[in-house]
Amino acid sequence: MRRSLVLACLLVSAAATAASRAPQAVGAPGKRAVDTCTACHHTLAEPRLKAPAAFADADIHRLQGVTCAGCHGGDPTATDAKAAMDPKRGFVGKLARSAIPEMCGSCHSDAAFMLRYSPNIPTDQLAQYRTSRHGLALAKGDENVAVCSSCHGAHGILPPSDARSPVYPTRIVETCGACHGNTALMTRYGLKGTELADYERSVHYAALTRKNDLSAPTCNDCHGSHGATPPGVSSVSNVCGTCHVTQRERFDLSPHKDAFAALEQPACESCHSNHAITSPDDRLVGVGAGQVCGECHSAGDTGATVAAAISGELTQIHERLAAAEARVRKAERAGMLMDDAQVKIEEANQGVVLARVEIHSVDPLRVQSEAKKVLDGAGVADTLAAAAEAEIRFRRTGLFISLGVIALAMVALILKIRAMEKEKL
Amino acid sequence: MKNATPISRKRFLNWLLGTSFGATAAAALYPVLRFVIPPEVAEAPVNRVLAGRLSELAPNTGKVFRFGAKPGLVVRTATGEVRAFSASCTHLNCTVQYRPDFQHIWCACHNGHYDLQGKNIQGPPPRPLETYKVDIAGDDVYVTKGA
Amino acid sequence: MAIGEKLWQALDERYQLAPLVEFATHKEVPQHRHSWAYYFGGLTLFFFGVQIATGILLLLYYRPTSEAAFESVQFIVTRVPFGWLVRSIHSWSANLMILAAFLHMFSVYLLGAYGKPRELTWWSGIALLGLAMGFGFSGYLLPWNELSFFATRIGTDMVSKLPLAGHWLLKLLRGGEEVTGATLTRFFGIHVAVLPMITTALLGLHLALIQRQGMHVPERLADEAKQRRPLRFVPNFVLREAVVWLLGLGVLAALAAFFPWELGSKADPFASAPAGIKPEWYFLFMFEVLKLLPAHILGIEGELVGLAGFALAGLVWVLVPVLDRGSAHGRRSRLFLVIGWLALAYLVSFTALSLMGVFQ
Repeated sequence: MRRSLVLACLLVSAAATAASRAPQAVGAPGKRAVDTCTACHHTLAEPRLKAPAAFADADIHRLQGVTCAGCHGGDPTATDAKAAMDPKRGFVGKLARSAIPEMCGSCHSDAAFMLRYSPNIPTDQLAQYRTSRHGLALAKGDENVAVCSSCHGAHGILPPSDARSPVYPTRIVETCGACHGNTALMTRYGLKGTELADYERSVHYAALTRKNDLSAPTCNDCHGSHGATPPGVSSVSNVCGTCHVTQRERFDLSPHKDAFAALEQPACESCHSNHAITSPDDRLVGVGAGQVCGECHSAGDTGATVAAAISGELTQIHERLAAAEARVRKAERAGMLMDDAQVKIEEANQGVVLARVEIHSVDPLRVQSEAKKVLDGAGVADTLAAAAEAEIRFRRTGLFISLGVIALAMVALILKIRAMEKEKL
Repeated sequence: MKNATPISRKRFLNWLLGTSFGATAAAALYPVLRFVIPPEVAEAPVNRVLAGRLSELAPNTGKVFRFGAKPGLVVRTATGEVRAFSASCTHLNCTVQYRPDFQHIWCACHNGHYDLQGKNIQGPPPRPLETYKVDIAGDDVYVTKGA
Repeated sequence: MAIGEKLWQALDERYQLAPLVEFATHKEVPQHRHSWAYYFGGLTLFFFGVQIATGILLLLYYRPTSEAAFESVQFIVTRVPFGWLVRSIHSWSANLMILAAFLHMFSVYLLGAYGKPRELTWWSGIALLGLAMGFGFSGYLLPWNELSFFATRIGTDMVSKLPLAGHWLLKLLRGGEEVTGATLTRFFGIHVAVLPMITTALLGLHLALIQRQGMHVPERLADEAKQRRPLRFVPNFVLREAVVWLLGLGVLAALAAFFPWELGSKADPFASAPAGIKPEWYFLFMFEVLKLLPAHILGIEGELVGLAGFALAGLVWVLVPVLDRGSAHGRRSRLFLVIGWLALAYLVSFTALSLMGVFQ
């Protein structure tokens, strides 16, 4: 009863804030806001009060004409402090944490209002937030969860496309990590707090930070940004499958799909982990020590047999391809033209990529059909390398023959000299 | 050759000398002659290649060609323009292809999509495809790589 | 043969060919225990001739820029018919030419043939050896592969050790501070234009002097030489020389067949130097000694002391016609003979040991 009363008051005050917002609190879009608040707070000594004014210049709200009063209420034109911060003029001051989402949402959820700034700007953030773990906890009164300002900042807010923004893709880990990396805080919610460290070991993190691939997933790509929630067990493959379409398609063809659903096991996560997703190694296929299939299967059962068959195919193609590549490289270094062989090797490499996709179908025949392409390609490359080696030997033979001709010429010349000089005597 | 007369012996020797020297000279000159005559491919196909014939490239089709040892893709758009790209997918180097049903470029390995500018628009590819310059001389489509 | 005779007559009327022919053919080559050594000079000339021929052929396809050099050599070796043969022969003949030049120089020295009146022949010969090594050093870079790039970098580094002009000479050689495409183009110009021009002039002089003065006979072999009939230069010696040249050709063909010259991998200036980079074998005797020297000797940089040492030794070698007074009168000094054997022993042993990897 108490809780819903508090919530009602908050909602009313938020609505009141929006309603009683002074017209000059939000200026024309695109025109930098000017208010007395910043001018005065700049001169204050106390850092807590001075700081927001300092951030004001790069803040996107200010650049779009929103004054301090746009969020905090009050009169942004009053020169007198008391008048400026008059509650009768809507001054709220420092917002209560639980009031922040509603306050931000008072503009950002208003589609008609936001149209002033951009034709395509999303306005579902608040609705999403309310479904998120953060939003649900906040609604129950837990103020230790993230609100809008926790991720976006309060003053000096930059658009997410700005590389300095805390919600720019490469910085998200840091931002979420402020709380989710705090093990003491996380244990209270039944979380380990190691997820971030795990993620930082992953290929996705490497792609994002080292290869500058902004399309690589970070926290919000799998968990959602405003509607942040861990994907449910049944939806893990949907999440991964958003990008990894072909693997997901094969998985859906496999017996694992129904089996995992029945066991309430998360699909992709069971073998690849959820945060510490490292580069998969073909050697992980099998029921031996450290191999993923052994988590559920044991030696002798159908799964183990299938794993062995698939693993066998993969090992074979790797060995054959490596051998062919080495032979081609050697011939190339010797100076033979190996363009055709290299094209075959590239094709074979493509076969390896496709074979690896087929692993997810756990069907040895499917893996085998891709593996066959690899073996064929490697075989042709090997044959071409052998032909190059044969050509080298052929040249050697040819030169050997010409040695014979030269030797003959030498003999003939020596005989001639002898004959000539005998004659002279 | 004890019973041969000195004259025929001398002639034989001269013949041997002449023939062996002739053979040596031929063995030396034949490679030189073959060397000097320009080979079929006049230049190493490193920067410019004849990718195909315009008459064989219908609108809304693509063709994979070879740039030395690397694959390239020449595309004739539905509007008739000819474009050329590297056909090595920027994800894991599979060879991309033109999909007439999508009217853009696609990679079979992990379902990567590229638009007709070569830009990666969907799926895992992290970077666009390298674009090549296309020159059309009559019916010949020449593709040039690099700046 | 009437045409031949008519042609001869036509030319003779205009240019008096008889004295020229006499000059070219009058020589007699003395025969003694060591007259086999007389073939080395001609052998060097033969290999040089092979270099000119194969070099001109390679010029038809080679491109001297860092972007295209390696690819053009690859093109020659993979796509041009018999390109692999021309290239392998060029690379092997370079080495055989320098080997023959060393054998020639040492046999001339040990036979004491440098003495008056043959000082200029000796000096032009030394210069020709230097030019040959210059050909080798500049040519080695041209394929622009990993080995040659780093060997050139180390080799040109040595130049910078010289006092005063060292750094300036380095920049002159490299065409800049580092070994780059500029170095390649410069080395190419040196290899196909500058050195051939100088070599042609000096070689012409060297051969003309020998023709004019005839062959030297060491004093202790003079009696034997008088007893045995000397060979007429044309046709007897020349025909024998042809046998030696055919032998040289055979060795070349065998080497090209059994040890074809590798293409290697393209030079990458930003890659780290592969282990065990060494200059070509004819620089090893100097290279290994310079490596063995301590970093500093009496406060001077070790390598500089080494280079000074070699310079001094080289100077003595060059000046031997002057220093060995007796050689002018046919009584060469025993001391200089011993020095010659020691020098030969040093060169051979250090080169062999280096190739066997003893200095690792």
